[in-house]
Amino acid sequence: MEQIVFGIGITALTGALATIAGSAEDTESNIGSQGDPNSQVQLAPQMGFVHRIFNKAVAGEPPAYGLWCALGAGLAWAFMAMQVNAVLAIVLGCVLAVFVQGVYATTAYLGRTASLAKFGQPVYVDVLKSMTSVTMAHAFIAIFSTVTLCHLINGALGHPFPLPLLGLIWGIALGAAGSATGNPYYGKERQYQNQKFGAGVPISASGNIVRYAEAGERNSLDNGFFTHKIGGSASGVCFGLIVFLEIWRTILFEQISAGWGAIIVGILMILIFTVIDRYIEVWARKNYGPYTEAKVAS
Amino acid sequence: MSAVAAKPQAGGAMNPAAMAVGVVMLIILVGIGYAISPGLGLTALIGIIIGGVLIGFGTHFVPVGGAPAAMGQAPGIATGVAMLAAGAGLAGLFGGAWAAEQGLVVATVTGGVGGGLLMAITCMMVNFVYVFGMGIPSASGKVAKDPITGDTQAEFKSQGTEGHGLPFISFVGGVIGGFLGGAGGTLIYVQLLELYEASLPAMMGLPPAQVVPIAVAAAGMFAVGLFLVNAVLTAYNITGTIEGPHDPKFKRWPRAIVASAVASAMCGLVAILIVVPM
Amino acid sequence: MSVKVEVIEGGTPHNTILITGLLGTLVCLYLTYLNVLTNTEMFAFFGGLAAIIALIWGSHTIKVLCSYGIGTGVPSAGMIAFGSGVIAMLFATRFGILAPIVALVLAAVIGFILGYISNNILNMKIPAMVQALTEMAAVGALSLMGFAALITGGFTFEGLTTGTVSMLGMTISSNQISFIGGGLIAVAFLLGAIAIQHPFNATLGPGWKQDRMLMLTAECGFLSMIVAAVMSFALISAGSAILSLIIAIAGWAYTYNQYIDLSKRDAAAWLDAKPIPDTEGH
Repeated sequence: MEQIVFGIGITALTGALATIAGSAEDTESNIGSQGDPNSQVQLAPQMGFVHRIFNKAVAGEPPAYGLWCALGAGLAWAFMAMQVNAVLAIVLGCVLAVFVQGVYATTAYLGRTASLAKFGQPVYVDVLKSMTSVTMAHAFIAIFSTVTLCHLINGALGHPFPLPLLGLIWGIALGAAGSATGNPYYGKERQYQNQKFGAGVPISASGNIVRYAEAGERNSLDNGFFTHKIGGSASGVCFGLIVFLEIWRTILFEQISAGWGAIIVGILMILIFTVIDRYIEVWARKNYGPYTEAKVAS
Repeated sequence: MSAVAAKPQAGGAMNPAAMAVGVVMLIILVGIGYAISPGLGLTALIGIIIGGVLIGFGTHFVPVGGAPAAMGQAPGIATGVAMLAAGAGLAGLFGGAWAAEQGLVVATVTGGVGGGLLMAITCMMVNFVYVFGMGIPSASGKVAKDPITGDTQAEFKSQGTEGHGLPFISFVGGVIGGFLGGAGGTLIYVQLLELYEASLPAMMGLPPAQVVPIAVAAAGMFAVGLFLVNAVLTAYNITGTIEGPHDPKFKRWPRAIVASAVASAMCGLVAILIVVPM
Repeated sequence: MSVKVEVIEGGTPHNTILITGLLGTLVCLYLTYLNVLTNTEMFAFFGGLAAIIALIWGSHTIKVLCSYGIGTGVPSAGMIAFGSGVIAMLFATRFGILAPIVALVLAAVIGFILGYISNNILNMKIPAMVQALTEMAAVGALSLMGFAALITGGFTFEGLTTGTVSMLGMTISSNQISFIGGGLIAVAFLLGAIAIQHPFNATLGPGWKQDRMLMLTAECGFLSMIVAAVMSFALISAGSAILSLIIAIAGWAYTYNQYIDLSKRDAAAWLDAKPIPDTEGH
């Protein structure tokens, strides 16, 4: 019983850490215009819309976060092997991983922008200086939370995988959840604020991203500020739910009928999410209504 | 010569001759596996091939729209198909590896449920953001009616786009894809783990308890490596984006089955050779 | 992707890079064998240099392949390279001194089959596909072996699976604290997989320049070597790890500065706190 209570406590903690990680991850990638919305930041100067948005194309979010988290975990593992205290080891490992992230971010911005010279897109050194430090700060939160939750899973809950491999797995899952949930909100809602609300961006409008702010010219900090309110929080909830439910069903129900308990609970949860998803879909169809009159299917 | 002008398009057509060559290669590779290690090695190899095929087939179900999806220009999840499948599959592998000592069937199904759960939560949150964050209902661009619910799609497609969000069929596809990917990854891991735990002690001259960390880490790393190879091959097959099981591109799956089987057999054979005494 | 990519014009031809990269990698890998001959770990840093040379070769291969528009992102190419490379590399470590050669040949075979699968079975029909995947699997295997040599001081299976723990003044041999047993192979895997694709991914566009991309690869390689050298403190003697670390930091600082200079050369303008320039028509 005590074992289970301890397990539930750790599970709750990992879920909370995952929520923070997901939220920070999405905000970081939106400030850097990483992931799929990057294509529009890249396209805009080619269509004549020179901008002051940070263009940090370090792979997609899943592989990039796979590296940052695996690296943080690997360095933390190495420090622990050198008999450094676990908390200090994780912090040091994450600081070094964030250093790598920052260097990658600067090289990506310089490289992409220099290759766009033909279209007159200049390199803004102030963008580089102010945005990189902010993305590094967010990345630190995301990496530190993820590595800590991996350490808890490995050390307190006894998962067989070594820390760096757990870092790789949850890093990729973090990037996948964060980019899936957060990308549309940044890509459609923020980059194309000038387009109609409640509709997709027409393909003909591609590249015409918003470049001016309430006062002055928009920079990526404004984007992080805006997207964090829904995109970031939703990504946090998404990753938090994934980590929490995955561990929760294992800790509580694994012993029931030789492992089938956890499976049945997992399937039940999938069904619950299916019902919620269907409800959301039908709600949208009813309340937002069709864009055009229904045509008879030919 | 401009490569852009001569840019070849991966068509939907099958290439029967190449498929036949693939099947022959597969048989040869399994034959080599039988020759070098008829017992445990062959079982592991067959498990790895099945796991690889599950991953390759499962990736076809994952609804991914790529960059246009991030602007609400195309339906699906806005990220890369190989990496989203990897995210789901590896989360499944995480659960499956935890349940590894409870036997092959339980571990594999646990892995599958883990992958399916990740996709269910992610797809639900994607629709949540589309509907409550951006006010956009889901609509598919490839079919007139959702094959499961029968909802008509065309009138919910906003002007100048190919559709947006995740219609119900894509949600179901995502869950199936995550399930197959997680199960496949776990199957590969469990097979390799059993093989390594049985043969590493003799090979390295160590007591069985000592080799466990090496067996776990090596099997886990190989499962990740094989997962990525199969997922990327499938991504090549569907040229990066797919809406789900209703997409016409889905019909290309036989090619990916053969491709995944051969690639997994090749890589699996090498992974087995590591512990074969010579 | 909407970004248009062109084939290479001018610059060093790919075959020169291929041959130089292959020979340089093998020579550097074998130089780490001096560790065994002299019974030290001082030459581990050659492993890092081998990985950097292999990555430079590999990033140019990615450029050749991705010029054709393969339908999915550039990063996936790095993933398939290292996914197939890691298996070949681990098998090859069983062959002692022959390991680099075995890794090269075996990875090339796996890569060739993957290339055949993609081109014929999956019907991609991209002329450079078979050669590119062959090269990339070899690059994946060799650079992983380089990282392994950098972190552990050698590339034999025994060396990668055993380590020592010092606890309360005693040294005990352990399999948990080792390159494979501790999972550091996962870190080396991703360090390489990102470093191989990042240079092309980050410099693509109409103004792509070969020297700038290759300088960026060297920068990514040295950056990866810095963190790998920090990890090597856990597995090799402090003196050798410090040597690797100093070489890595010096190399990184030099290449990073060079890369910034090259970016300054190619950029349209280099502005600090200036507004968007007025362009005609908008």
